[in-house]
Parts: sequence; C-alpha cells; structure tokens
Amino acid sequence: MTKPMIRIHNTETDEVIDREMTAAEFKIYEADKAVQIIEKAETEAKATAKASILDRLGLTADELKTILG
Amino acid sequence: MATTTNYGWTTPDDTALVKDGAAAIRTLGSSVDTTTKALNPETTLGDLAYRSSSANVKTRLGIGSTGNILTVAGGVPTWAAPAGGGGMTLLSTTTLSGATTTVSSIDGTYNNLQVIMFGMTNATANGKLRIAPNGSTTISSQVRMDNTTAIGTTIDNYIIPYGNLSNSDRTTADQIIVLNIIGYSNTNFQKGFSTFGRVNDGTGYPCFSNGYISTSSAITSLVFSNAGGDWTAGTVLIYGVK
Repeated sequence: MTKPMIRIHNTETDEVIDREMTAAEFKIYEADKAVQIIEKAETEAKATAKASILDRLGLTADELKTILG
Repeated sequence: MATTTNYGWTTPDDTALVKDGAAAIRTLGSSVDTTTKALNPETTLGDLAYRSSSANVKTRLGIGSTGNILTVAGGVPTWAAPAGGGGMTLLSTTTLSGATTTVSSIDGTYNNLQVIMFGMTNATANGKLRIAPNGSTTISSQVRMDNTTAIGTTIDNYIIPYGNLSNSDRTTADQIIVLNIIGYSNTNFQKGFSTFGRVNDGTGYPCFSNGYISTSSAITSLVFSNAGGDWTAGTVLIYGVK
C-alpha cells in the first residue's frame, strides 16, 4: 500500500526531499487521523445538540447571540 | 615675575627693565605656543580633541574609519564600528506539499522567529491548520479565538491559529497566518508564541491565538499539516528576527 507523501525542507542546505512516510510516521499519521475523526464527531454532536436546544426554545442562533450579546 | 590668570604665563613686572623686554616677550610667546599646542593636538583632517586627565591639555583622537560611530570606552571617547541593529532575515521559503511539510535545521542564531503562511489549500476536505514545533504533538498550549468561538484555553497537540470549531477551507487560497515564536532558540526557558491573520472556512474572518511552547529545547524545525488532507499549495516564509 502506498503511504502518504511528506516534504522535508532542510534550510541549512536548502535541500527539499519528497518521500513516502516511513512505517513509524505512518503509524502516527493514522493515529492522528483517528483523533481527528473523533474530534469531528464531537464537534458535530455539539452542534446538533445546540441546534436541538435552540429548536426547543424556538430561537435562532442569531437571536441567541442577540440575547447573550 | 607676574603670571597670567588662566595659564600662568610669565609676564614682565611693572618694574622690569625695558632692556629685558625682548627676553620677556620670547618667554611669553614660548609659553603661549606650548599651551596652544597642548589645547590643539589635532594633526590630521578629521581629528578631534578631548580633555585629558591633566588640566589645559587635550588628547588627540584621530578620525575613525568610514561608518564608525563615536562612543565611550574607559571614560574617554573612541571610534567604534556600530553594533549590529535589529531586523529580519529571510531564512527559508518553502512550498507546502504532502501530508506534512517539515522545515528543518532552522538557524538558531536569531532572537525570535516570524513565520508567514499564505495561499494554503489541501486536497480532500476542510480541516484545521496545524503547526508542530520540533514535530512534537504534545507541547503547545494556547488561548485562541475566532469570530464564532468563545475565547478559551486549550491544550492542543499543535499550534492551531484559529478557533477549535473552525476549519480552513481546502480550496480557498486567500488565507494568511503569521506566527511569532519568541526566544525560539534558547535552551533555558519555554517559548511564547502568537498567531494572527485571516482564515476562510467559506467566509473569511480574523483569528488569533496566543500561548507557549512547553519545552526548554531550541526549536529547530516546524512541521506544517492540515487535518483535512494533503497540502496542494501554499508558501511558508521563515524569518529570523534580531
């Protein structure tokens, strides 16, 4: 399986290397992606919960901002 | 013999004989000549003179070299080359590419770093723009805010230049982020940082974050990534700041 490419720019030599991730880098990359999926799900759940509360209150997000403002 | 008030030159007394006039004038002239020379030691174009430790004697200060400035050393004036002033030096220009782009071997001889990112887009989805000092995912702590997210303290895996809920639009290139890292190369204390700029998640808005990098190691590399996918464009300029 092809792993994602990464770029490394050594500013001392000005050498730019484009290469595939190593196995260790790919493991970190995959773990990071898993965290991002969880964070995204949490963010979406919060947004849904917020919308649900506003709906029950009969308020729009802008009206809530006005009240809190 | 009478003497003058300021320099003590010898002059004839009122009762002195006229026949001694020539010798008296010669003595007085010689004294005036000696004093005048002591007060005007300059010999060359551009020379300056300043008071020496002895009264009525000045010291010659020869003209300095081109670009020199007059300063003080050991209690007397002297010419010296001016100290290097502040300023910014462009250390690197990097085009963002791949899942991560690492800028490594950053010159550690400056006081601070200024990083400017612009024109960033990525391949697959909107996502957080992230910067990892020394590639570390555990050392950044910051307060950040955008126009929709309340201010709050967040310990992040990365330096994230805008609100937690906000994503960088993957296709919109009109974003710019400025990151300042203070004391990036010191090995004695943690580093402060600030970011500011404009992000665009469909609508452009200002953003900022302030915080610290929790390491006493020098920052020698920065790893740029976007949680939304591989970089497809974007430029990173890194300046060393004195």
